[in-house]
Amino acid sequence: MTHHRHSLWRWGLPVLALAGVFWLSLFCWSPVPISPFDALHALMPADSPSLPEALVQNLRLPRSLVAILTGASLALAGTLLQTLTHNPLASPSLLGINSGAALAMAVVSAISPTPLAGFSLAFIAAAGGGLCWLLVMTAGGGWRRSLDRHRVILAGIALSALCMALTRVTLLLAEDHAYGIFYWLAGGVSHARWQEFWHLFPVVVLVAPVILLMSKHLNLLNISDDTAHTLGVNLQRVRLVINLAVLLLVGACVSVAGPVAFIGLLMPHLARLWTGHAHQRLLPMSMLLGATFMLLADVVSRGLAWPGELPAGVVVALIGAPGFVWLARRRG
Amino acid sequence: MNARIFIGLLLMLLLMSALALRAGALPLPWSALFSGWQSTSEHHYILTQYRLPRVILAIAVGAALAVAGVLVQGTVRNPLASPDILGINHAASLAAVGGMLLIPGLSVFWLPFLAFTGGMAALLLLKLLANTASPMKLALTGVALSACWASMLDYLLLSRPQDINNALLWLTGSLWGRDGSFVMLAVPALMVLLPLSLRYCRDLDLLALGDERASTLGVSVAKTQWQVLLLAVALTSVGVAVCGPIGFISLVVPHIIRRCCGGRHRILLPLSALAGALVLLLADMLARTINPPMELPAGVLTAIIGAPGFIWLLVRMR
Repeated sequence: MTHHRHSLWRWGLPVLALAGVFWLSLFCWSPVPISPFDALHALMPADSPSLPEALVQNLRLPRSLVAILTGASLALAGTLLQTLTHNPLASPSLLGINSGAALAMAVVSAISPTPLAGFSLAFIAAAGGGLCWLLVMTAGGGWRRSLDRHRVILAGIALSALCMALTRVTLLLAEDHAYGIFYWLAGGVSHARWQEFWHLFPVVVLVAPVILLMSKHLNLLNISDDTAHTLGVNLQRVRLVINLAVLLLVGACVSVAGPVAFIGLLMPHLARLWTGHAHQRLLPMSMLLGATFMLLADVVSRGLAWPGELPAGVVVALIGAPGFVWLARRRG
Repeated sequence: MNARIFIGLLLMLLLMSALALRAGALPLPWSALFSGWQSTSEHHYILTQYRLPRVILAIAVGAALAVAGVLVQGTVRNPLASPDILGINHAASLAAVGGMLLIPGLSVFWLPFLAFTGGMAALLLLKLLANTASPMKLALTGVALSACWASMLDYLLLSRPQDINNALLWLTGSLWGRDGSFVMLAVPALMVLLPLSLRYCRDLDLLALGDERASTLGVSVAKTQWQVLLLAVALTSVGVAVCGPIGFISLVVPHIIRRCCGGRHRILLPLSALAGALVLLLADMLARTINPPMELPAGVLTAIIGAPGFIWLLVRMR
C-alpha cells in the first residue's frame, strides 16, 4: 500500500509541475496583459473571444504545445540512444544527429527553388541526422561494445562542429542575415504557431506509443544479446525500430524548433534518478520531464530578455552545459 | 629534409600572402603588388589600409595558435589536448565579449588582458575538475566546459541584439575589418611570446620522456609545465583578442607537422608556426573570395578544414 502511495507521489509531482508551467506559459510576460483566468478561459472554445483570449488561442497555446512536444520527443530520443549505445553520454546533440539534421535542412532549403514545409522538411532533417549519426558511429567505433565510450562522443562533437560550420556557411550564403541565422541555430519555439504544431504532432503520436509498447523489449537491450535471444526477442528488429523512431523524432523536432541541445542528454539521467531503470517507467517519465523542462526554458527565456525574447535553446544550454560537465567527469 | 620543408613552407607563405593581397571584393591586378605601395597609386589605400593589416594579422594569429597547440600538447602529453578543445578559446572570448559589453568604450588594447584572465580561469577550473590521466576524459571534460562558456557567450550576445552585428563576426572568428591598431596590438606581443616559447624546446623534449626521467635530467617538471601552459594561454589570448575563437588550428596543425618532421620541439615549433600561419591565411582568403562582397567568418572555414582532422586523430588513436 505504501508503495502505491509512493508511486502516486512520483508521478503526481511531475504532472503537477508540467500543468503549472503550462498555465504560466499561457499568460506570463505578455506585452498585452493577459490575466491568469483569461488564460484558462481561452482553453474553452468560445464564439467571440476577447483580445487576450484570442492571443492565447492563436499564439500562446500552439507555442506551449510545440515546446511540450519538442521537449518530450527529444528526451525520449535521448533515452533510446542511451539504451541503444550503452553510453551514458549518448544524446541527439552529442552524437551529431541534431546538427546533421540542421545541415540537411539548410542545404535543401538553400538549393530548392520553392520553400519547403512540413513533413518533407522533417524527413529531410531525419535523413541528414541519420547520415551524420552513421558517420559518427563509424568514426568513433560506437558499434562495438568498446571500453572507451568517450571516443564516440568526441567524434560526435567534432562532426557536429563540422556540420554547424557548414550550416552557417550555407545559411550565410543563402540569406546573409546574421542575426536570424544565429537565432535559428540556437533553437527555440518562439515562431511556433498551429501550423508547426500540426507538423510535429502526428510524428509524436505515431512514434511514441510504438516505443512505449516496446519498453519491455528495451529492458532486454541492457542485458547481453545472447540472453535476449534465448528469451525469444529479435534484437535486430528492436534496434531497427528504435533507430527509425529516434531519427523521426529528432528530424521532426529540428525541423520545427531548430537544434536544441542537452535535453536529450540530461532528462534521461534525471528520470533514472527519479524512477529507476525499468523502461516501462523510464520512458514516460523522461518524456514528462523533458516536456516540463523545455516549456520552463521557454517561459524563462521570455522573462530574461523581456520585452525582447531569447531563443529557448540558449536557456536550455545555460542550464544543460554544467550538467554535461558533471556527466563527463563521472566514471563511465 | 627538415630544412627543405621549412623553405617550402616559407615560399608557400610568401606566395599565399601575395595572393591574399590581391584577392578580395575588388581584385587587384598583379602590377598593383609592386606599384601600389607608392602613395600616388590608386590601389594604395586598399592595399595598405585593408589587405596588408589582414594578411599580417592572419599570419601572426595563425602562428600563435599553432604554437600554443604545440605547447599544450607537449606539457599535457595528450594528443587530443589543445587550447580550443580544452575550452580556453571560448573562455577567453567570453571574458573579452563580457568586458566589451559591460564597459562600452573599452579600448581594444585591454582585450588581450581580459582574454588572458578568462583563459587562465578556464584552465584552472579544468585542472580542478579533471585531474586525470585518460586523454579522452580530459578532452571530453574540456569540451563540456567549452560548451558551458559557449552557451554563456550565446546568452550574452543574443540578449543584446543591438550589439550583435559587431560582436557576431568577431565571435565566430573572423579577420573582417581589422585595421592597423590590431596589428600594433598583436605583432609586438607575439614578437615577445614566440621567441620565449623557443626557450622551452629542450625542456619540452625531455618532458616527452616522462616526468621521472625529465626530472632526473634536470628539468623542474611542475615549474616548467606551469610556465609553458601560461605561455600557451597568453598566445591563445592574443589570437582570441584579435579575431575571436578560431578553432582546430591549434589542434590539427601540430599533429600534421609532427607526422612529417618528428617530435623535436626545435623543429616542431617553427614549422608549426609557419603551417598555422599558412592555414589561417588560406582560410581568411577563402572567406573573402567565395562570395564577394560578402564575408564568411574565417573560423567557420578552419572548422571545415580542421574537424575532419580531429576525427582522423580519433580514428587513429585506437
